[in-house]
Amino acid sequence: MLAVRGLAKSWPGGDALFAQVDLAVAAGELVAILGESGAGKSTLLNIVAGLDRADAGTVEVGDTRVSALDEDGLARWRRRHVGFVFQAFHLLPYLSVAENAGLPLLLNGVPAAERRERVQAALASVGLAGRGDRRPASLSGGEMQRVAVARAVVHRPALVLADEPTGNLDETNAAATLEALRAAVKREGAAGVLVTHSPVAAAAADRVLRLAGRRLAPA
Amino acid sequence: MSAALAATLLRGSLSGNRWRSLLAAACIALGVALAGAVHTLHASALDEIDQAARVLAGAADWQVEGPRNGFDDAAYAAVASLPAVAVASPVLELDAPLASGEGTVRVLGIDPFRAARLQPGFLAGEGARGGEGATVRLDAGAAWLTPAAAARLSARPGGTLRLRGPLGEVRLAVAGLLPALDTGGPLVVMDIAAAQLAFGRVGVIHRIDLRLAPSVPREAALRAIAARLPPGVTLRRPGDEALRTAGLTRAYRVNLTALALMALFTGGFLVFSTLALQAARRRREFALLRALGLTAGGVRAFLAMEGALLGVAGALAGTALGLAASRAMLERFGYDLGAGFFAGSGRVFAPDAAALALIGGLGVATAVAAALAVTRPLSRLDVAQALKDRQVDLPAAPGGWAAPLALAAAATAAAWLPPAGEIPVGGYLSIGLALAAAVLAVAPASRALLERVPARDRPLGTLALAQVRSLPGHLAAMVSGIVVSVALTAAMAIMVHSFRLSLDGWLAGVLEADLFARASPRGDAVVFTPAVQQGLAAVPGVARVDPIRFERLTPEGAAGPLTVIARPVTPALLRGFQAQPAEVPPRAGDAVNAWVSEAAVDLLGWKAGDEVTLPLAGRRARLHVAGTFRDYSRTWGAVLLDLADYRRITGDALANDIAVHLAPGVDAAAVAAAVGRVVAGVPGAELHDASFIHARALRIFDRTFAATYALEAAAILIALAGVTSSFAALAWSRRREFGVLRHLGLTRGEVIRLLALEGGAAGLLGAGLGLAAGAAVSVVLVHVVNRQSFHWGMAIHWPAAALSVLAAAVVALCALGASAAGRAAVAREAVHAVKDDA
Ligand SMILES: Nc1ncnc2c1ncn2[C@@H]1O[C@H](COP(=O)(O)OP(=O)(O)O)[C@@H](O)[C@H]1O
Ligand SMILES: [Mg+2]
Repeated sequence: MLAVRGLAKSWPGGDALFAQVDLAVAAGELVAILGESGAGKSTLLNIVAGLDRADAGTVEVGDTRVSALDEDGLARWRRRHVGFVFQAFHLLPYLSVAENAGLPLLLNGVPAAERRERVQAALASVGLAGRGDRRPASLSGGEMQRVAVARAVVHRPALVLADEPTGNLDETNAAATLEALRAAVKREGAAGVLVTHSPVAAAAADRVLRLAGRRLAPA
Repeated sequence: MSAALAATLLRGSLSGNRWRSLLAAACIALGVALAGAVHTLHASALDEIDQAARVLAGAADWQVEGPRNGFDDAAYAAVASLPAVAVASPVLELDAPLASGEGTVRVLGIDPFRAARLQPGFLAGEGARGGEGATVRLDAGAAWLTPAAAARLSARPGGTLRLRGPLGEVRLAVAGLLPALDTGGPLVVMDIAAAQLAFGRVGVIHRIDLRLAPSVPREAALRAIAARLPPGVTLRRPGDEALRTAGLTRAYRVNLTALALMALFTGGFLVFSTLALQAARRRREFALLRALGLTAGGVRAFLAMEGALLGVAGALAGTALGLAASRAMLERFGYDLGAGFFAGSGRVFAPDAAALALIGGLGVATAVAAALAVTRPLSRLDVAQALKDRQVDLPAAPGGWAAPLALAAAATAAAWLPPAGEIPVGGYLSIGLALAAAVLAVAPASRALLERVPARDRPLGTLALAQVRSLPGHLAAMVSGIVVSVALTAAMAIMVHSFRLSLDGWLAGVLEADLFARASPRGDAVVFTPAVQQGLAAVPGVARVDPIRFERLTPEGAAGPLTVIARPVTPALLRGFQAQPAEVPPRAGDAVNAWVSEAAVDLLGWKAGDEVTLPLAGRRARLHVAGTFRDYSRTWGAVLLDLADYRRITGDALANDIAVHLAPGVDAAAVAAAVGRVVAGVPGAELHDASFIHARALRIFDRTFAATYALEAAAILIALAGVTSSFAALAWSRRREFGVLRHLGLTRGEVIRLLALEGGAAGLLGAGLGLAAGAAVSVVLVHVVNRQSFHWGMAIHWPAAALSVLAAAVVALCALGASAAGRAAVAREAVHAVKDDA
């Protein structure tokens, strides 16, 4: 599903961050990328999402060559095919939990009735059935992150990207979030990439790679 | 809080808010400048009047004063012979047009011997330049000038001064100067008998300056003098002039001041939203400081200090601006921006330090109050929450309907309060309460309104709606700012429009003749004699002439003056003056029919059916009030009498104006030309047709309100600039959210459009609530404030086109400002925006 070949990135005036990175993730597979802080994990993820440009290499998702799209093309592609989970949750405070979770459906023009149904299912799948009318501010951090997981998969994306999704959570909540993420990736048949500095979090994945010394290699 | 800490915090806030802080201070400055300028102009004008009155009165301790057209000089003889009177000096006073046509000059006719005993300055002594004699030796053709008059008229001793009188040109030889009377303003002093003769006022005087004999008890002296005075002629203190003028201009002053305070209020709002935004932005910083041990009171004190700083900066700049502006306006337009209340020369510039300090203090207080309003939600801030919280925002606007409804009810009730003096305190209170109600209604009204807007499947619209609907604190502050400025602008626009249309309709009715001749377009020295009136009536093609005579007098027991308008009263005239009832009733006994203006109703309590007396020509005339009429020409009372009645009572056959009706079917231009030739025989007299006078009155109206228009434009521009800068801050504080949206697949263009939609929605909400509040305020302005301060009844007319343009402009500018802010906010990479998580 995700095919990354020969990716290289260096910041202007800096050493190369990584080079010759290859990565293939199958549909329904969750891959963890482990690395020290500053290793370049977030940068790699952003390049995959089309939020940053690589110096060399290609990114393909399904039949789409992501690295060939222009900015607006990338935005539309993300809208349709990518789900994100951030370290700091980033729920919109003025939307209800259900509205937050349904945001990708709204952006994709899914009719309201269908939206409601799919959001309910997504919230139920992360264990938050019945919390749809609450405001994010009234949730705990763990609950917020599970809403974010629901948001990341509600539109059945081809790719689910999670950047340190447990960085702000305690162990119990971290475990619940990772379980929700893993289940969602399996259920929706998405290619999942989880980057983290925590071996504990990485253990939730099907496969663990390590980004170190400018190379991405099996851990 | 230590000074060092405060300075550190202040640096942080000012660096991030330079433009917004500047705007807020500018708004405070505008209000302070306006109020300061208005006050300085009036203080200067009153000061000049006071100075002049004092120097001319000299040692006089009382003055006898009568109607504008003067009184019989027999009263002088009667008063002067009383043992209670040590010195009595008769004065004839009129404003004579210059023969050159360039304005008027005040002419004082005095008895030099007697005048000099009260004010030796009338005797040009050692200070006199050029003339070798003294006023004592004034002959009939000689005049003495104050230095101000000499400068104004460019006249020198030895030269000739040419003035106009009702009998033709008056030529005077300039005999010398009176430097001791310089503070009296530009004056031409001549012998009273010569002046009476030259200006056709034989047997008439306007004033008697008195010094009482020290041996006689004052009460008894005053009683003895009053007993010798004819009705309508009264005793007063020399200093009363300034007080009376102050009374006449109070309405005008109070209204301009109210306008200034409204600018100040808007300024307060800008301060509030500036500080609110900045408090929101720095919420985490404040939370951190709290966590580090700064008390909630410390944070409050800091914000209050910041508000005070903005207020002081605004107040200082505003005071300087107000002083500079009033000085410049004095030089260019005189004391009242050309509105015609003051005849002064504009030479006195007398800022009133105490009042200016008060106005400046009000500016500072407004800013501090705004700052304290910000600190209220901040003190409820949960430190732990705020430290964790990623969202930078004030707590959502509070709000049910209880507070706004209670305020609206109080506003309605306040409108019925009686005025204090002539100041419509109830009206202003009502306006203030209505605005407060509108501001508090922002949150509940937006919820009620937006809840009904169906959420469509359009993503941007839905997101924008959700943001505006949840109305975070600073969006609420911003909408409130829009509400206040739109409300004030709309209210003024509705009031001015209603007034203009009412005036327009009134003029059309009042100007029912074809041509109008005026003997003294400036001053009052020239009048139409019966010969001229008959000459006009005899012009072929003229169907009828209506001579009009004006008199100004003070009814017994009244505080202010009353204008008497004497002219032939016909049903058509009554309809034109919107009289109620508009028909001439049969005469009741020997009482004369009179119609009284709305101001006379308000000020004197006269109403249709009353029997009243008026001191006319030294006699008490009994009048039957037949009805009321509308008079947009003056803010004091007026009485309309039939000319025949007036002449029978007074024996005064002169006329100030003449309305000329043409016969049907005549060549109007030719007849007008023939009428013009007769009028031209009266030096300085003017002839215009009704349409010219109509247009000129509207032109003057527009000029008077031009300052208002300019102020409104300034207020709304500043408010919109404030909105734009608020949106910039809002967009900045939401850049993380925009980063998320871009991760979720929104393009930059869509984020900008999202903000434009939000801006438009906020603008629409603000404009809608503002228009509603403005309509309510305008009703109070028209029916309470105007009625109580100017005593003019008028109907409300809605300027639909102007209000639509206003609303559309506000919505468009909000959308534009917001999208500009959005452009700046998404210029950075989305990746950075979401990355601040450590
Ligand atoms: N826009 C940028 N410009 C320059 N250097 C950057 C930029 N973004 C990230 N870096 C650098 O790249 C390195 C990797 O960053 P990042 O991908 O965020 O690491 P990780 O997510 O593994 O902690 C860091 O040293 C960081 O300083
Ligand atoms: Mg990272």
